[in-house]
Amino acid sequence: MGFLSKIAVRSPWLYRINAGSCNGCDVELATTAFIPRFDVERLGCKYCGSPRHADIVFITGPLTLRVKDQALRVWNEIPEPKITIAVGVCPVSGGVFRGGHSIEGPVDRYIPVDINVPGCPPRPQAIMEGVILARELWLRRLEKLEAGGGERRAALS
Amino acid sequence: MPRFLKILARNLLKGPSTEAFPFKEAFTPPRYRGKVVMNPNLCVGCGICTHVCPGGAIMMKESEDQNGYYFMVWHNTCAFCGSCRHYCPVKAISLSQDWHNAHYQSEKYRMVEHHFVPYLHCSSCGAHIRRLPPALAARIYSHSSVDPATIIRLCPDCRQLATAKREGEVHESSPAPQQP
Ligand code: SF4
Ligand code: SF4
Ligand code: SF4
Repeated sequence: MGFLSKIAVRSPWLYRINAGSCNGCDVELATTAFIPRFDVERLGCKYCGSPRHADIVFITGPLTLRVKDQALRVWNEIPEPKITIAVGVCPVSGGVFRGGHSIEGPVDRYIPVDINVPGCPPRPQAIMEGVILARELWLRRLEKLEAGGGERRAALS
Repeated sequence: MPRFLKILARNLLKGPSTEAFPFKEAFTPPRYRGKVVMNPNLCVGCGICTHVCPGGAIMMKESEDQNGYYFMVWHNTCAFCGSCRHYCPVKAISLSQDWHNAHYQSEKYRMVEHHFVPYLHCSSCGAHIRRLPPALAARIYSHSSVDPATIIRLCPDCRQLATAKREGEVHESSPAPQQP
């Protein structure tokens, strides 16, 4: 097992939470993943349908009051070690919606964000740069977990 | 020939449609709106950009010693809309082609374009004045005989005085304000 996991290139699975986004960023995320021009699967990444299978999670939108509880519940379903990427200026700071009456964000008030990709929306290449950063961070965290021994792994699994 | 073979041959000839990025530099259109850059040598401090910015990304603040003002654009709330560039009267603010925005959370508050723009001193009374670039002054005074080079070094009060003197509107009867 130890040998196998060393030689295997790890492939993080991606998941996407829409926390009240205008859909602009979600379209760019879909573009990044599903059209062959950008093709994020070359980096070993793949979208998955269930939060419990995910390693890297994208959050879009300014975390509206309406969606806050659901978004946080889904985020909590994702197993550790997970990497959270805030995509667009909305989750990072509130963006053009900052100060709105129904805006609970920025997202890092509730969730420990690891990577930010600002833009309104960011272009697919910028999102890919975010995924590359996230993948490195994720691999580092995995290594740390493995070095930490079975105790912590059991606690986290 | 079966149809799928034709398609296969065509696709082989066309080559991959996937961009080489991230292994090579990505194509960026020349008019792409990336990070905001500001030229502190041109800014007149009018504040129009702050007023029109939909993301509230621009902040102008007088420095503690009141010798100038700080000009900050926070890229984490900028929508890259280009309104600031459109409305800036002196083209001091523009958008670059730099779209490399992804960063770690620890750098969140360092994604800023930050400048300090010092005030000038009025050549007559020494008061603080905001800069008036020569090109803009030339445009403003294009229809008048005033020398823009001298007028841009005066504060508004002294400018008024100079104009009044020049136009000969200072009457002997009314007490003429003396230049300090
Ligand atoms: S960052 Fe811009 S494009 Fe993305 S969700 Fe917010 S408003 Fe929409
Ligand atoms: S590009 Fe738009 S959002 Fe960004 S600083 Fe200029 S006006 Fe504000
Ligand atoms: S950047 Fe342009 S619009 Fe903004 S304060 Fe300076 S001169 Fe005015």
